[in-house]
Amino acid sequence: MLGYNLRLAWKSVRRHPVLSTLIVLGIALGVGVATTFITIYHVLARDPLPGKSDKIHYVRVNNWQGLTPATEEGPPPKLAYRDMMGLMKSDIPVRQTATAAAQLVVRPEKGARPFRGRIRLAMSDFFPMFDVPFLYGSGWDRQADGKPEAVAVISAALNDRLFGGENSVGRKLRVEDREFRILGVIDHWQPPVRYYDIVDNPVGVEVEDIFLPFQWVGPMEIRNTGMQMSGGNEGNFDNFIDGLNASERNWVQLWVELPDEARRKEYESVVAAYISEQHKAGRFPRWQDFLVTSMLAFMEEREVVPPQARALALISLLFLTVAAVNLIGLFLGKFLAKASVVGVRRALGASRRAIFLQHLVEAELVALIGGVAGLGLAVLTMALINRGVEDVPPLHINGLMVLAAVGLSLAAGAIAGVYPAWRICAIPPARHLKNQ
Amino acid sequence: MEFGPIFRAVTRHRARFVLIVAEVALTLALVANCLTLILDAREDLLVDSGFDEENLIVVDTEPFEDAFREEAYRNRVTDADVAALRAMPGVKAVSHSGFTPWGDSTSITGIQYDGKPDMEPIPTQIYLGDPEMFKALGVEIVEGRTFTREEYNAPQTNDVERPLSIILNRKFADELFPGGKALGKVIRFGGGESPPLTIVGIVDRFYKPVGDVHERVMFLPSRAGGYPFGPSYLVRAEPGQANAVAGDIEATLLRVDSGRNFEIRTMPELRREFQSRNHMLIATLNAVMGLLLLVTALGIVGLTSFSVAERRRQIGTRRALGATRRDVVRYFLLENWLVTTCGAVLGVGLALALNVGLLNVVEGSRIGWQVLAAGVVLLWVIGLGSALGPALRASQVAPAIATRNV
Repeated sequence: MLGYNLRLAWKSVRRHPVLSTLIVLGIALGVGVATTFITIYHVLARDPLPGKSDKIHYVRVNNWQGLTPATEEGPPPKLAYRDMMGLMKSDIPVRQTATAAAQLVVRPEKGARPFRGRIRLAMSDFFPMFDVPFLYGSGWDRQADGKPEAVAVISAALNDRLFGGENSVGRKLRVEDREFRILGVIDHWQPPVRYYDIVDNPVGVEVEDIFLPFQWVGPMEIRNTGMQMSGGNEGNFDNFIDGLNASERNWVQLWVELPDEARRKEYESVVAAYISEQHKAGRFPRWQDFLVTSMLAFMEEREVVPPQARALALISLLFLTVAAVNLIGLFLGKFLAKASVVGVRRALGASRRAIFLQHLVEAELVALIGGVAGLGLAVLTMALINRGVEDVPPLHINGLMVLAAVGLSLAAGAIAGVYPAWRICAIPPARHLKNQ
Repeated sequence: MEFGPIFRAVTRHRARFVLIVAEVALTLALVANCLTLILDAREDLLVDSGFDEENLIVVDTEPFEDAFREEAYRNRVTDADVAALRAMPGVKAVSHSGFTPWGDSTSITGIQYDGKPDMEPIPTQIYLGDPEMFKALGVEIVEGRTFTREEYNAPQTNDVERPLSIILNRKFADELFPGGKALGKVIRFGGGESPPLTIVGIVDRFYKPVGDVHERVMFLPSRAGGYPFGPSYLVRAEPGQANAVAGDIEATLLRVDSGRNFEIRTMPELRREFQSRNHMLIATLNAVMGLLLLVTALGIVGLTSFSVAERRRQIGTRRALGATRRDVVRYFLLENWLVTTCGAVLGVGLALALNVGLLNVVEGSRIGWQVLAAGVVLLWVIGLGSALGPALRASQVAPAIATRNV
């Protein structure tokens, strides 16, 4: 039956090439625009670590002294180094990592010009916690964190650049005046949202080229890039390490993995106890102002999905709806022009149901053709967006996009086709048999 | 006028007219909201920072030689860089400053009035610069003076007793000290010990899109940059020469010291990059609007053609009874206009509702009545334009058709 209906539908499509093209075009435009922006929205808003993101939490405490500028409310978005160190003494999180970004000079072998490399300072738990995929080797172990050991993990892109894509595990990498032993090469990894760096630009910025143990901050006197704030004594110290340990400057991000609600509560009491203890020593005038936020909640809070993306997704869906409503008229005209044929079929015994289905199938067929064209249009639009806009994640065609295009075109076909199909099947057969 | 017949026709063919009304209403709602969003985005794009942006070049240096770790060496290279840049043909002014009106690098601090350590600090942007900074940016010092070389060269200390000279923008100065009395006044950093900050100069304009503080700034005299983030320079070229000058900068600076890499960008490039999201938003909304109007026009043409085809006999009868072709055209246009107007009235309501919905999602303005009026006129034009073809075809119906097949 479906086959028969499809054949009839195809015949009808071909009989009115101009009208059919117009309808296909209308659907294609609507589906193209809607698919593009729904994909962008989804890429930004989806759960980056399904099954895990509700366990990973971001920690903030308010170490600010005196008065805060009016632009900030609640605890600042990053920690002071000393508070990170204090909080990380807890063994309640199953995994935890401090992280920050830096830029250091990389000195390739063989006389190539040194360049500034983008560095991610992290701890051993970073790699398993954030599901970092490895091409060669692995991350470092907890022992390497404390000392710290001169080990590094590099990106596939840097591995291509420096080592021609070979397995470089065990090779040397010179960063500033130190030699690091490469332990792992990260497989091509570019999550649309760099979910480990939600405070600084998480979208549209590439994953760093080099991962180093966090505690190199002290010995190498590393100054972080990205947001840093100071709500109190920055500290003026002759010695970098002293400054590091005493400064109230907020620049470290701390992630902890808490497997369940009970552990979360437990961890919160640990943070509270830490603050009380520090309060006695004259710090934390704001007392118990701290937050332990799950990854998704934190993404929401920091508006990882720009509001414009939401607005465009909404507008594009409405656009598709308007396009579909506009097609109702065209289908109506097209179907009613065949009223006499339908009259003959009805007189020969076709049920209303059969006629209704036949026309609905025709509408959906046209809509699907439009949907496929729309998908092509969406791919084109995304290529354009990737070329022209800075802070958008790299967009590629994916299963979801195909699904969205098909689903949207079927929905549009239904909006456009149901009423005309119902009208044509409701026509009494006799009226169109008379005048022939 | 044919209001009676039109009304009866509408009630007989409700579905068709309901469709046109729905199309027009939805289209108006979307177009008005797209237009509002576009106007908002354009406002950001058209902001005049007050700087000589067209002719500005931003140079960032990335030293990699260990010699740059030493401050004295760095300062010598910086001075040589500035001299070399200044000597380039087509260069009007050079400043050692990392400030750019467009870019992600911002810094904010809080300040307090002198002697009021308990007040809530007032947030402001803060940037470091040298005496040439304002000449390079192309802003005028309207009161007081620029920094002196001594102030700029003074070594950085932690001495909270030593006063510092600062320069504010006009708006911020007036906000702090109404009545143009800011010059010579002292303010302090909020939240702790602070040296006295004496206002020695006021510039006429400032703009950098940073939250609530986009029109507040405080400049401090200082050498900025260290290792591995070297000093940055602002180079102001003679009008029209920015691209040519930018092309020669790297070679010039490499001759001074080759132990570093450079990033050289013109301000228009930087601004375009910074605003690319707005550019995309506008382009997309324009495209959506254009396509929407096209689709709606097609829909109206389709429905009106259909309505004409269905009423050929009635048209023939009217023609046979003495109606002129012009009467027939007028009838269909009037019918279309009335239906479009119904849609527009409904659309105004829908547009306002959608606007409220969108403002929940994205920051923006309320729809202005001008936008709604423009939308209604646009839809009238499109409605009439779309109906004209079918109406003309209707006027070609021969009166003789009335005699057939009744």
